[in-house]
Amino acid sequence: MTPATTTRSVVASMSPAAPGLAVSRLSIRQVRRGAVIVAVVCAGMSAIVAVQYQTTFQGSIDQSGLRALVENPAIRILFGPPVALDDAGGFTVWRTGTPLLVLAGVWILLSATRITRGEEEAGRWDLLLAGGLRTADLVLRCLGALAGSALLISAAIGSGLVAAGTDATGAFVHAAGVLGVILTFAAAGVLAAQIMPTRSAAVGLTVGVLGVDLLLRMLADGVPALAWAAWATPFGLVARAAPYADNRVAPLLVLAAFPVLLAGAALGCARRRDVGSGLVAEATSRPPRTGLLGSIAGFAVRRAVRPTIGWATGIAAYFLLIGALIASILEFFDANPRFAELAAGAGFVGLDSADGFAAALFSLLAIPTGLYAATRLATMVADERAGRWTPLFAVPVSRSRLVCTEVAVIVAGVVGLHVAAALAIWTGAAITGAPLGIGAALAGALNTAPIASLGLGAAALALGGFPSAVGAVGALPVAGGFLLNVITQGTRAPSWLVNLSPFGHLAAVPDAPPDWAAITALAVIAAVLIALGVAGYSRRDLSS
Amino acid sequence: MLEDYAVHGARHVVDSPADHLEVLSPDVTLRWGWCRTPHWSKFRFGAPGSRVGSQLPDPERLLVSASSAVPTRTASVFAIRIDGVTKRFGRIIAVDDLSLTVAPGEVFGFLGPNGAGKSTTIRVLLGLIRPNAGTATVFGDLAGDVRLSHRHLAYVPADVALWPSLTGAEILELLGRVGPGIDIEYRAELVDRFDLDLGRPGKTYSTGNRQKVALVAAFATRAPLLVLDEPTSGLDPLMEREFRRCVTEARERGQTVFLSSHHLAEVEAVCDKVAILRAGRLVEIDSITDLRRLRRTVVEVSYLDARPSVENVAGVSNVEDLDGARLRFSLAGPPAPALAALAAADIGAVAMREPTLEEIFLDYYGQTAR
Repeated sequence: MTPATTTRSVVASMSPAAPGLAVSRLSIRQVRRGAVIVAVVCAGMSAIVAVQYQTTFQGSIDQSGLRALVENPAIRILFGPPVALDDAGGFTVWRTGTPLLVLAGVWILLSATRITRGEEEAGRWDLLLAGGLRTADLVLRCLGALAGSALLISAAIGSGLVAAGTDATGAFVHAAGVLGVILTFAAAGVLAAQIMPTRSAAVGLTVGVLGVDLLLRMLADGVPALAWAAWATPFGLVARAAPYADNRVAPLLVLAAFPVLLAGAALGCARRRDVGSGLVAEATSRPPRTGLLGSIAGFAVRRAVRPTIGWATGIAAYFLLIGALIASILEFFDANPRFAELAAGAGFVGLDSADGFAAALFSLLAIPTGLYAATRLATMVADERAGRWTPLFAVPVSRSRLVCTEVAVIVAGVVGLHVAAALAIWTGAAITGAPLGIGAALAGALNTAPIASLGLGAAALALGGFPSAVGAVGALPVAGGFLLNVITQGTRAPSWLVNLSPFGHLAAVPDAPPDWAAITALAVIAAVLIALGVAGYSRRDLSS
Repeated sequence: MLEDYAVHGARHVVDSPADHLEVLSPDVTLRWGWCRTPHWSKFRFGAPGSRVGSQLPDPERLLVSASSAVPTRTASVFAIRIDGVTKRFGRIIAVDDLSLTVAPGEVFGFLGPNGAGKSTTIRVLLGLIRPNAGTATVFGDLAGDVRLSHRHLAYVPADVALWPSLTGAEILELLGRVGPGIDIEYRAELVDRFDLDLGRPGKTYSTGNRQKVALVAAFATRAPLLVLDEPTSGLDPLMEREFRRCVTEARERGQTVFLSSHHLAEVEAVCDKVAILRAGRLVEIDSITDLRRLRRTVVEVSYLDARPSVENVAGVSNVEDLDGARLRFSLAGPPAPALAALAAADIGAVAMREPTLEEIFLDYYGQTAR
């Protein structure tokens, strides 16, 4: 065969669309597993809450109570404006809408930055771009894969609601709103990846945008003069669509413009920039900052400072807001005791006192702090796989000391996050004159730290045995445990299943005295998991 | 033990009490070596944070029989001792019953094609992975006990990855502070010689510059053993020359160098001894001189009238007739039979050439499957 015929046959076997198709397939492969998990969790949560409502709450809320709920600014700020609470679908959207939107939004923005800036940072896009494809082509293919994921998640939520027996039109409007919100954050993540030079900076920018959008929605719902701001944030628009009540189309159309504009901007930026860098240039030279580089422990602290401040800022902002709203919420429960009973039915006991309300929210605090611990160890594995640890593996320091130092810094970080939450909620309460002391706030916040330490323990165990699953295994005790707690509360689940969740075991500090036996038990379990993880890590083959 | 030394090509001869120390205690050798050469006298012995105290010789290793000068713990003599190491990844056998020793002060080349098991061997040696069988020791300390074994070594990985946000200067600072101790002045000189811009963040360095950061960090240490895994794959020829100078200087200071490389000319230029690996097994280990001698010599003969008959002579192969009454053949093993055959004919001139390392290498891999 001559060279000419060889070339011709190769060209014939590869149609012009093939490289693009291959990149599309690659992008889908990179997100499909996470998309399916998020879709199942979101659909499951929606369906379970809708079914729970039909079996327990239906018809038990009177009209005056509903009016009080709608008029209370604190409730509106936290959960959005309650509409159609007399309907299973309407209640589910109000109860699960914001948390699920945040969950899916955060997942898709992390995925968006991972498959774009992350891949580019790792140098893998250089290979893809050596062919006929341009950067903008790759960005477009990534946007396509993310749009497919968003469609899957929103369709799953809509189907879950319909399957639970709610109105199909409302389910469709809600699913369309969810799709718009998730697509917005997918496109925002991809745009940030074009602007920022590193993956972490792109993630930080997009998470910041998500936080500002949430804040705008809260302001729009809490302050009547700022109600117009709802039209500027996806969270506000999805609420304005009022699924199961008015089923408005106009907010959805405005919402649809968000991802279109962001994606267009991302493609425009992709055409203007160099591969390997963002529109924002990175400093190519700077004087050395040698602080905290003198020891393994110092270096562990140095690496942890920035991400910990990021987590602390988010957590403190939320708890400051909660603290500021306590007074208003107490007034509401005073006037409408029926809602306190309903909340108790859903697992939140004693919401009618400042201490009780704080205790309920501190139990939620363990979810982000547990995830913080898991992500820190997941980062350690990612750095190990990238070979960054290799020079440190060659110094005369045992592996158990390396990992124990890392774990100790994470424990300090978790405690720091809980203290930050306590100080923030106390500050908010003090500003608005709610009866919450600083001692009570600290005791309540630190009481739930052992739950977060279980997340750390599980992640450490995976670090020693299944390093590729550190993030997922670490998230299991806190995220999985919380879901289990929510699901088993309203159903007659067997007691062993209820007891599997760490959230059911601790006392509601500061409303009740701490349960030292439970705290000790959780801490001991976490310590054993960490010890097993350290032993495994010391023995396993390092991937470097 | 002394026989071992002769076999493994040690450069020191045991003939005086001082030399006993050189052979029997690598740690003492180094301290002595550093003080002796002007370069290493710059070391800040006893400076804050230095680990000189921990490198004092283990008294047990200094036990010497006065009559024979044979140590009681022979393993401690070797800078590296790999003993029957096997490493499997699933069904793939990466390293298969590998045994080799490297004497202190030696520059040891480690050759083999891609996938032969060189990096796996090095990772076992560093305790990064555990062998399925066998042991590896570094100056007598088990490779798995990294707190002890890593006091003796500095490492340059094949694929250097740096912390993306740390600048070159910050990475050198970190590795210098947590490693086995460094010579700060020599490090500054190396930065200069390798023409390294230390102000840039790790993620902006090219492959070659990342390698230079790792090389500067390793050569600046006072570690008695340098383990270098393909350290020059990304360097330009000027920097490669600088690298060779650094290896020579390390040898002069008494440091042992374990060099895995594909650059045969580089190995030939700097190494005393070479091990050749194929499919996880050791196929040859010898000094470069002996390797050439044992393999084959290329012989070219010009004859006057009758062509000498060498076809059926022991050790002769690849006989080739050249233009103008000339003959070329390869000679392996003892040359006496071939010389006798040549002596029987009327020979004008004989030229004998040793094969290059590349020819030896291709001999091993050219014809046979990996």
